[in-house]
Amino acid sequence: MASARVNVVPCGSETLAAELPGGGWPKGALTDLLVQQPGAGEMRLLLPALKAVATRRIAFLQPPHRFQPEAAAYWGLPETSINVVRAQKTADALWAGEQILRSGTFGALIFWQSHVRPEALRRLHLAAQTSESLFFMVRPLAAASDTSPAPLRIAVRPARDSVSLEFLKRRGPARDEPLVVGLTHSPILLNRHASVDRRVSAAPQPRSLPAELVLHE
Amino acid sequence: MYLPHLSREVFQPNWSSTSEAGLGSGLVVLDHERVVALDQAAHEAGVRIGMRKGGALTLAPDARIHDKDELKEQQAVADVATALMQFSPQVAIAEEQTVLVDVSASLRLFGGVRALRCAIRASLAAFGFTVRMSVAPTGQSAWLMARYRGGRRLSIRSLMRQLPRLPALLVLEARRYADWFDGLGCTSVADLRRLPRAGLKKRCGTALLDTLDRAVGEAPELYEWVQTPPSFNARIELPDRVEHAEAVLFVARRLIVQLTGWLASKQLALTRFSIELEHERGRAASPPTTIEVALAEPTWHEDHLTRLLKERLGRVELAAAVIAVRLEVNDVEAAEPPSDTLFPEPGGSAADHNRLMELLVARLGHENVLRAAPVADHRPEIVSNWVPVSSDVKGCPLPGDQPRPSWLLETPIQLITRQHRPFYGSPLRTVSPGERVEAGWWGGELVTRDYFVAEADDHTCYWIYRERVGSRIEEDPRWFLHGLFG
Repeated sequence: MASARVNVVPCGSETLAAELPGGGWPKGALTDLLVQQPGAGEMRLLLPALKAVATRRIAFLQPPHRFQPEAAAYWGLPETSINVVRAQKTADALWAGEQILRSGTFGALIFWQSHVRPEALRRLHLAAQTSESLFFMVRPLAAASDTSPAPLRIAVRPARDSVSLEFLKRRGPARDEPLVVGLTHSPILLNRHASVDRRVSAAPQPRSLPAELVLHE
Repeated sequence: MYLPHLSREVFQPNWSSTSEAGLGSGLVVLDHERVVALDQAAHEAGVRIGMRKGGALTLAPDARIHDKDELKEQQAVADVATALMQFSPQVAIAEEQTVLVDVSASLRLFGGVRALRCAIRASLAAFGFTVRMSVAPTGQSAWLMARYRGGRRLSIRSLMRQLPRLPALLVLEARRYADWFDGLGCTSVADLRRLPRAGLKKRCGTALLDTLDRAVGEAPELYEWVQTPPSFNARIELPDRVEHAEAVLFVARRLIVQLTGWLASKQLALTRFSIELEHERGRAASPPTTIEVALAEPTWHEDHLTRLLKERLGRVELAAAVIAVRLEVNDVEAAEPPSDTLFPEPGGSAADHNRLMELLVARLGHENVLRAAPVADHRPEIVSNWVPVSSDVKGCPLPGDQPRPSWLLETPIQLITRQHRPFYGSPLRTVSPGERVEAGWWGGELVTRDYFVAEADDHTCYWIYRERVGSRIEEDPRWFLHGLFG
C-alpha cells in the first residue's frame, strides 16, 4: 500500500497495516466502520489505536449500549480516559461531534449513528480535518450503499477470535476478498483450538461395579 | 467614545429598531415638553427637534413618547465605561455622554490602534448604542473631536492641523459666552486661541484657558478614573416584553460585555454566575427564572461565556414574558496569567478541554456527558456506573482479570431455549467456564446468576447468564442475554 503523507496511528496488526493507506488508522479524517450489530469485535479492532491515544482522552458519542468500564480494564485501557456523551436528538449529537472534533482535545472520537445525511457527514469530515483526532463512525451495514465522504470505509464482520474486514472504499487498489485480522483479549477461555472436546464416556462393563452400589429391587 | 443618540437609545437600542418596535410608529423623547431626540420614523412624520409635545403628537400620533431619563443615561454611560475597562484600566466618564479611555499602554497588547478600535467597536455593539469614536494624543482633544465628527489624530502635529478648525462653541466653557464670541467673530478654536490670554482670563475665568491648554498638551490632564465596585450585579430592563429565551441573549450579551470589563479591571476570573430573568407582573406574579452557570475552568473570555449562555438559554422554557434581566457574579478567583510555554501542547490545554466539556454540558445537560466511576460490586450493572463529569464521585480501581463485554444491555433479554440450549439467532455454545455472581442480598435485590460467554454460529460472542432458581423449584433454567463483546 502506498504510504502517502497521511498522519496515522498504528493499528497493532501487521496484516492490517499492510492494507491500510499509510499503514495505520488515519488521524484527522472520517473513517466509516459498518457493522451488522454492536458486538462484532469493532472495539477490539480499534483497541491498539485507542491505547495509543488514551493519554489524550477518548469520547464515545451515542454509544448503542452502556459501556462497561470493566471491559476497558481487561483490555488495559484506563477507564478514566473515556467519556461518554449522549444526546437526545440527532442534531444535538452531530453538533456535539463537531464541537469535540473542532476543539481537538480528545484523542479519538467514536460516534454511533444509524441515519446521517451526507451533508452532515461532510461537515463532520471537514471538522475532523481541522483536528489531530481519530474519528470513527460506527454505522449499520445497510449504510454501505449510501455515499459517504469518508476516505476509508470498512465493513466489519465477526469471525472466530478475529474479525473479517471488507474494504468498501480506500485510497489505493480495490480489494475484494475479505481480510481476517486476529484480535487480542478474546473472551473465549475454553479450548481455544479443539472447539468441542467431548470424551466418550467409558462403556459400562457388566458386573464391574461393587455389589453394594448396585440397587437391588 | 461619544454616544450621540443616547437619550433615544436608552429606550430603544438600535438592534431592536425595526423588528420589535414596528415600522412607522416612531419614538420621541421629550425634555421639559420639548422634543430633544427622535428616531427616523418620527423624523419622516415631520417631527423636528425643539418642537412642543402637542406639535409632535399631532404629526406622529402613533409615536411612543418618553420623558428624558437622566438617570438611565448616566447608568448607560457608566455601563459603557465598565465594559471599556477590558481595554485599559484608565477609563473616565467625561461630560456630555462621553467616555475617555487612556489606551497608550494597551496599544501593543491589542495589536495597534486600528485593531483596538475594531475590538472596542465590536464589544460596544452589544449595547445597541451609536458610538462616535476618536483617537487623539490628549484626552481633551479626543473629547472635542468625538463631540464634533470623530476621527483619528495620532501625533500632536497632525492634531494641531485638525484642532483649530473645530467650532469654538464645542468647548464646554465657551458656551456661556456664546453671544460674546459671536459678536467678536470667533467661530473656530483657532480664533479662540488667537485672543489675548490675559483678557480672556479676565472675562471668562481660567477654566476656558485651561481647557484649551489641555487640548494641545500644554497643561497636564488629570482625570478621575472610574473605580469598579467590589462586586458585580447588573440589571437591565428590556425595551419590550420578550417571549423567547433566545431573544434574551441580546441583552445578556450586553451584561456579559460589562462583566468582562469588570473582570479585566479586577484581574479576576469567573467561576460561577447566575442570570435571573424577571417576569412580567401579570395577574399571578411568577418568581424570576434563575439560570445558574458554574464553570469548571475559571474564565474571563466574552466569547466562551456568550456561547455557554446561548446553549443554556436554548434549553430554558419561559413561564411568562421577560421584562428584565439581572446578572450576578457568585464566585470569582484570581486570574492566572497566560501560559508562556514555547510549544503549545498538542490537542490543546486542559483549559481548552474543560471549556469543551462545559459547552457540551450546557447544551446536552449534566446527565448526558459522563465519565466512569466504577463501584466495587459483583453485579455488572452496578459496577459499570457512569456519573456526570462535574460530579466528584470517585471510582474504585478495577481488577481487569476477567473478560467482560464492552456493551451491557440496560435490561437483559430473555432467551428462548431450543434443545436445552439458549438460542439467539442461532444456537449458542458456551465457550467459557461459568462465573457465579451472587450478590445484592443486603439491598433486597438478590441476584443469583451464572455467567457464560457464548458463541453463536456466526462467531459473535455474547455474554449470557442462567438465572439460578432454587433447586426445589421444578422449572427450566431461564437464560438471559446481558452483554455484547465489542
